[in-house]
Amino acid sequence: MRLTDEEKRMLNGEVAPGIQKAMELLVKLGDSFDAEKLVPIAYGHISYDLCPEAFWNLMTEGVSPTPHRVTTHPSSQPGTFKAWGLPIEDHWVEEHERKLKRFKELGWLRTETCAEYLIGIMPKKGDIVPMGGSCMQVANNSLFGARVDRMGVLVSLAAAVSGRCPLMGLLLQENRYASHLVELDDLDVADWTISHYHCLGYYIGDQIPGFKPVAVNGLPPDLSFDFTRALVISMPTSGAVTLAHVVGSTPEAPTLEAALGNGKPEQVVRVGKKEMSETWERLNVWDDDIVEHVSFGCPHATIDEIGRISALLEGKKLKTSLLIGASPSVEALARHQGYAGIIEKAGGHFLPVCPSIGNPFTRRDIAGHKQAKSAATSSARNAHYLATVSGVKVFFGTEEECVEAAITGRWKGEMPKWK
Amino acid sequence: MEIKAHMVSAGKAEGQALVYKGPFSFMGDLDPNTGRIPVPRHLLEGENLANKVFVFTRGKGSSGGDCIAWMAKENGNAPSAIICLESEPVLSGAAITTGIPTVDRPDKDIFEMIHTGDYVKVDATAGIIEIVGK
Repeated sequence: MRLTDEEKRMLNGEVAPGIQKAMELLVKLGDSFDAEKLVPIAYGHISYDLCPEAFWNLMTEGVSPTPHRVTTHPSSQPGTFKAWGLPIEDHWVEEHERKLKRFKELGWLRTETCAEYLIGIMPKKGDIVPMGGSCMQVANNSLFGARVDRMGVLVSLAAAVSGRCPLMGLLLQENRYASHLVELDDLDVADWTISHYHCLGYYIGDQIPGFKPVAVNGLPPDLSFDFTRALVISMPTSGAVTLAHVVGSTPEAPTLEAALGNGKPEQVVRVGKKEMSETWERLNVWDDDIVEHVSFGCPHATIDEIGRISALLEGKKLKTSLLIGASPSVEALARHQGYAGIIEKAGGHFLPVCPSIGNPFTRRDIAGHKQAKSAATSSARNAHYLATVSGVKVFFGTEEECVEAAITGRWKGEMPKWK
Repeated sequence: MEIKAHMVSAGKAEGQALVYKGPFSFMGDLDPNTGRIPVPRHLLEGENLANKVFVFTRGKGSSGGDCIAWMAKENGNAPSAIICLESEPVLSGAAITTGIPTVDRPDKDIFEMIHTGDYVKVDATAGIIEIVGK
């Protein structure tokens, strides 16, 4: 790999031990993908909570505040869990505080969300924004036309401290055209909700080999941001899709031809009623109908989603625990708007956690004997990780069905009538 | 029997093969505290990956995979080596940061040649997979 003189000094350890370690990792990764050079980043995004402390210390050792902006993924909030009386071990709280202290020293922004575009931090088309969080990667690539290759949380920390990333994969225009095409077969989407788009994305992710860019054709043009987002962020859960063009809706796909780069797709995946029905069923992993927990906010909730939930919860009392994963900024708006008050009065909670992999209600290592053994969600991504990371029974359905389950403690969700 | 492959993460390791003809994510597909595959209805549900030469098709899933790989390695529950058809940057990054010798793009059909329980040596640096015993 070709390095600039400054990058050579960084790699030789002349700047900081952490920067040297970060550069070693980026160069090895770049070399394994035949990257020709490293490129400067527009801004970085990391997850200090998910990052094991030994690796965190290795990467940040001796590093000065970075000239570029760095933001952070949802936080695990161990201090809050402790205050709630959950039997979380003390070392989690201490580790969190140590990493947070270093995070602030570096001058990084405590956004604590997987959807920072909702709080006005978003890339321009073409910006290079290496970051952890496969849902943020696919969102930034697909919804904003920014450039981020698929990468892990540890690698994204290396990119954040060094301000560099290897020029590879989806950073290169020639790799951004869809090689795989999804066509909808006889599906009427007129009354689809966010959950239906989650389900479609989950099916597509499973069908696309590797992380090939995909184009989805046949949906109504100018699909709402929330629907497009639900569709694309579900794909890297069941698979590794990191760039999805939704024809007529996303910036690099004004037309099917533009999405395909005027080429022919390697593979066409057709989705019809049967595929949707099977996927919906697959996302439901339960035997009896007892619901102990309901979670929203995977990816982190929009103010509209919170508004809809609050309207359904007005004057109600919850039987189950209910968590809304949202950034502190969106939560503040929900509070300002009166939504948060209604939801909390019913018994719900807001936290800037990841409700999928860091859910304090379903993770046995956080909740201990208070662990909920079943959970309902309207997000396919949330359903997938609740079943696998927390190992609980999962109900997947619409927002209304989930709120109903939170109020009654029973699941009455039904398979949609596919039209 | 020897298979040539492309180096993803340097190093040498050996062990019993565990073969899965499907994609894999460290996040969700591996419990770093036990080394087991916890996924309901997964073909290998309950199997232990610790110190195995893990053979599968390709990487998938959450970018937190490298963190889980790191935790699994710290706990002694990581695979000793990885052989896959085609790696991707999350899997490659996980293998490089944790030092799991890893190869991809094998020049022969690994699913034809390697079976669960076979004893396999992986020299990732040289790009050579050797099946030493059935």
